[in-house]
Order: sequence, then structure tokens, then C-alpha cells
Amino acid sequence: MTFILEAKELSKQFGDVTAVNTVSLAVKEGALYGLLGPNGSGKTTMIKMLTGQIRPTSGSAMVLGLDVEKDPVGVRAKVGIIPEQETPPSFLTAQEYLDFVGAVRKIPDIREKAEWWFDFLEFRDKKNVLCKDLSRGTRQKLMFAQAFVHEPALALIDEPLINFDPIMQDVVKEYLAGYAKKGKTIFISTHILEIAEEICSEFAILHKGNLLHTGPVSDLTARNEHLSSFFLSLVRKDRHA
Amino acid sequence: MLELFKNMVREEWRMHSTMFGSLSFALFPVMIFGIAFMSSFLLPLMRSNLPAGEIAILTHASFLMLGFMVGAFGLLGNEVMNRRFGQASLLAYSARSLPLSGRFIFFNFVVKDLIYYFFLWVFPFGLGYILASPFTGVPLFAALLLLLTLTLSFLSGLCIVFFLSTVYSRSRALLWLIVLLTGAGWGIISAVTGMNPALFFPPLLLYVSFSYPTFILTCAALAALFAVSVSLFDPLETGQSREVKNSFSPLLKKLSFLPNPPLAAKDMIDLYRSGSVVGQTLFSFVIPLAVIWFFLSLLTPYFPPHGLIFLYAIVAGVIASTMYTWVTMFDSFGPYACLPVRVSTLISGKLTTFSLLQLVPAVFIAGAAIVSGEAANLIPAVVLCLAVSFYAAGIMVWLTGLSPNVLVYDVKVLFIYLVLVGIALTIFTAVAFAGPVFALSSVILLLPAWLFVQKAKVKWDAVDPAGF
Repeated sequence: MTFILEAKELSKQFGDVTAVNTVSLAVKEGALYGLLGPNGSGKTTMIKMLTGQIRPTSGSAMVLGLDVEKDPVGVRAKVGIIPEQETPPSFLTAQEYLDFVGAVRKIPDIREKAEWWFDFLEFRDKKNVLCKDLSRGTRQKLMFAQAFVHEPALALIDEPLINFDPIMQDVVKEYLAGYAKKGKTIFISTHILEIAEEICSEFAILHKGNLLHTGPVSDLTARNEHLSSFFLSLVRKDRHA
Repeated sequence: MLELFKNMVREEWRMHSTMFGSLSFALFPVMIFGIAFMSSFLLPLMRSNLPAGEIAILTHASFLMLGFMVGAFGLLGNEVMNRRFGQASLLAYSARSLPLSGRFIFFNFVVKDLIYYFFLWVFPFGLGYILASPFTGVPLFAALLLLLTLTLSFLSGLCIVFFLSTVYSRSRALLWLIVLLTGAGWGIISAVTGMNPALFFPPLLLYVSFSYPTFILTCAALAALFAVSVSLFDPLETGQSREVKNSFSPLLKKLSFLPNPPLAAKDMIDLYRSGSVVGQTLFSFVIPLAVIWFFLSLLTPYFPPHGLIFLYAIVAGVIASTMYTWVTMFDSFGPYACLPVRVSTLISGKLTTFSLLQLVPAVFIAGAAIVSGEAANLIPAVVLCLAVSFYAAGIMVWLTGLSPNVLVYDVKVLFIYLVLVGIALTIFTAVAFAGPVFALSSVILLLPAWLFVQKAKVKWDAVDPAGF
């Protein structure tokens, strides 16, 4: 079987701290793959390594057939990324930022696509506002739009729903599920377990940088077990180990 | 109420020590002390060419500039921190959620800057000179006086920038009026007395001839500037959202002839909308250089004919090289990390914008050459200024990548920068003094500048970029 994303024994050390410890995982095309874990478990570091934003201390990763360490820019050209913390540039407006992303990614019909996103995520009235003056929720909408505006084969998104209200969360969940149904792949990092259970087809659980579990959500459903109870029991067991 | 002040000092220390490590940052004032201590032993040699009084003029001018620079950075602190370190914020801004007035917070912020940077820069320099005095034959009183007057020079720069920038935030017309009136006042003093107005700079007057009335008047003037700045202070963020028309796409078309036009267009918009184009040009370029002109012109008797304009071009070139910090201060690599962009591409983009900004020093030096009756030397002076600027910027890019603002306090980085820039400046000052036309040879500095930039691209692509 071919995988669209494959990590082999990825590790990242920050000084004395091991943020990610020999993690291996593989994601199939068309999957909506959830990377779950409590705060500080290494999810963000994992996404940064998989997108070539930081180099692994050891191990390797292939994304869309490219070696991430050898060709990080090639990987970032093909995928969409929502970083956990980064916000759009302060002095560009929402529309200018999407124009900027379109110019860097060389998207020919960026203006039309941007207009669609303004309507879809309901922030047309903010498109000429400087990003520094946007609310957190609107900034998150903008970051969401920039990650999907070029319709990437794979999107790696870090806590994409955290600043959205319940209505917008619902809109975005439906979009993600539909996107995966079109054969595109989504790698989502989150600690909102209800959402992960609702939309993910497969998941992995990270704790203190270690991979505790990988598998399809359907396995839990078959056992009549909820993702949240499974997650909590696994993490608690690891804490006391 | 001292809590806010204490924590602001702690915050400033942690900010610097986090960037460079506690030891490396703690070594910074030690390095300043070492430079002052060792330079003291070179004074007898320097005096053979330049009288002690003239060296004192240069030293006071340098500390006045330092005050300007510290003040200019402080007022941009929050935006800079947010862009460089994600959600980082300074107490000066986050303390607004506490029951404290904006003016009280600003008061603490300015006092913190005064004290913190005094101990970082001014005190170690003065101490070095004082401790060397028994060996160099300089009377202890003169060394102590120098510490006092350098402190007053530094405070003058800081208070002037805080004052002008608070006026600027209230009314740009009033700022220009103050600048014009001050200029006119200096011109009248100069015309009436027939003396260079820089000689009336109070700390310098005190150094030359100390008197208590002048000292008290100087302190009172600084206190007045400080008090007016605090009372005029108006919080920068109004909470209103600002709508503007799309400038990116038209600018992108206009800049399409450049390499990396989207990056250059974004940088130009950043500079314009943040107010940096006017603010930085005024506070970090035009005003410091205007002041330097008066100080340097005091040294004319010690220069060869036409020497002043070339020395001025060199100084302007060094200051113009700091325009690289203007284009890097508002973002780290973080926001670009979700795009197919390398650090080296971003460096190229920043240098493109930097190159466009070099129009400012080119026009400035051309203007200075014409006004000072040196129009015949206009072209060599402009070439010298730009060559020095690109050379110093090339070294800065190689040493600091996209973080020139924060890495200046890394002892190793600053030392290498000073040595490499110092060697080139010494050589090309001598070359320009030998004959105006020889200044054109400075164009050769573009070659090492280019090599430093190529090395920088390889170096900074190979490390995980800062800003995560």
C-alpha cells in the first residue's frame, strides 16, 4: 500500500527535552487523520517536522513522495498548512494576505477563490480590515482559507477549530469531511476529542512525545467505545507508567 | 507600585538573556567596559592627531545617538515582539488590563529604559575610562565628569526621541513645526555667535567647563522633556479596526521587475502602514545625521580639504545599513513557514526592499553635498555612502540572518561586526581623504557584500529559523 505521508522513527530534541520520540506513522490517501494528545505532547512539533518547518533530530519523513528534509520547500508548495500560533501579517488586510499567498504560490485565479472563501467562512465584511485589527476567530478563518485556497492534495492543520464559535466549527467540520470524501487527505492535530471522533477516519495518540496508539476510529466504534474514554484511559495509564 | 517597574526590568533582562543565554548577554556590558578600558590607553596616540576635546565631542555625539536609537526601538517594542515571538507581549502593553493609567505605565516604561540601558551601555563605558585613569594620567575628576556628561548625552537622546515621538503621535504638523523652529533657533544662534551650535550641547558644555547652574538647567530641561512626553502620551492602540483599500495588487504589478515581487510589496506595505517609513526615516536617520553633521563639522580643521563630506558619507552609510533592521523588524520566518519559501528567499526579499530604501541615503548625501558647497564631490560621496551601507548590511545579514535587531547584543556577533566594518571604514576613510576621486574605489566593497550575502543564504538555510 502506498501512503501519502509516512514518518519513520521521527525524533526531535530541544536541549534536554525530547519533544517527539521515535514516532512512526503512515497516512493513506483520502484519510482524515487525527493526531491527538494533551497539551505539550509533541503534536505541533510533529506537524512542523512533517512540513519541513524544523528539522528532525533523527528519523525521516516522506510527504507526497518527497523527502521532507531534502526538499522542505517542495513539500510546502504541495501541501496546505495551518500553523498553531502564527497569525497573518499585521499590516496587510485579509484580502491582501490572500493575494500575497496567491502570488507566492502562483495561484492564477486567486481573487475568485478568495471571494469564495470570504463568503464561505462569512467574513466578507472584514476583507479590507488590517489583520492586526481582526478578532482571533477571523484571523483563524483567514489562516484556514490560506491553507485550502490552492486545494492541496494534503493539508496539515494544527488546532484549526480552537478559535471558532460552535456554528463555524460545524461549517468547518462539514468542509473537512467533504474534502476528504473528494479523495484529498487531511492531517489534523487537535485535543478536542469530540470533533476528532466525529470526523476522523483514523487517529494516533501522542503523549510526552511518545506514540501510544494508531488505528482506525471504526475499531472503537465496533467495540462500542468512545474515543474520549479510550484516550483518557491510555494517557492516564501512561502517566502512571 | 514599584512592582510594575521591577517586573519591567526583569522582563527586559529575560528578553535579552533568553535570546543569547544569560552568560552571553551578561558579557555585553563587560565588552563595553573592555573597549572603554583599552581605548583609554590609545588616547595618547590619538591625541597626536586629534586633540582630547575633539575626541570628547565624538564620544558625546555617539552617546546622544545611542539615546536616539534606544528610544526609537522602545516605542515600537510591542509590535516587534509580537511579530518576532508570536504571542509575546511586553508588560507595557499587557499591564493595561490592570487598574493602572496609561501614563503611569508609560512613565515606568521610560524610567526602566533609562536605568536599564544606562547600566548596559553608559556605566560600563564610563567605568572603563575611570578605572584606566590611574594608568593613563587622566585626573579622576575628569573621568568621573565624563561619566556624568555621557549619561546626560544619552538621556538627552532618549528624552528627545520620546518627546518628538509623543508629539508625532498627537500631531504631525506640530512635530514639523517643532523641528523647524529648533532648526531655525540653532541657525540664529550660529549666525549670532559665529559658532557651531553643537558646541552649545549642554552635556558638552558641562564637560568643557563644569558649573552647577548649567548642570541644574540641563537636568531641568531633560526633566521637562520627560514630563511633557508622559503627559502628552496617548496609548497607541485605539481598539478600532482599520479598513484600507487594497494596495498589494497594484504594488505587486509596479514591483514586478524586481526579484521576489510579492515579498518586496509586502515589506513596502509593512513599512508604510506601520508608520516606519516616516517615523524611522525621521528618528533613526534624518535627525541623528543632522546632529552628527554639526558634531563632525567641529572637527573640520583636522580633516583634509573635502574630508568632512566623505566622513559624513561613511557615517551615513553605516546608519543607512541599519535600514535592514527596519525591513526585518516586523516579522520572523514564522508567518512564511506555511508557504513554499526558504529563509534565503526571504533574505533576498528583504535585501530587495533594503535596496529600494537606499534611495533615502543617496538623496540625503547628495543634498548634504550640495548644501555644504561640495557639489563637485556629490557622486563620489554618494557612491561611498551606498558602498559602505551595502557592505555593512551584507555583514549584518551574514551574522544575524533575519534577526539583526535582537542579535546586536550577542557579544560575539557584535565583536565580529565591529571588526569587519571597522577595517573597511578605516581603509576607505584614508582612501577618500587621499583624494575625492579615490572614494569611487569604494564600489569594490560591493564584492565582499555580495559574498557575505551568499554565505548568509547557505548559513541561514541550514538552521531551523527563529520565530517558532
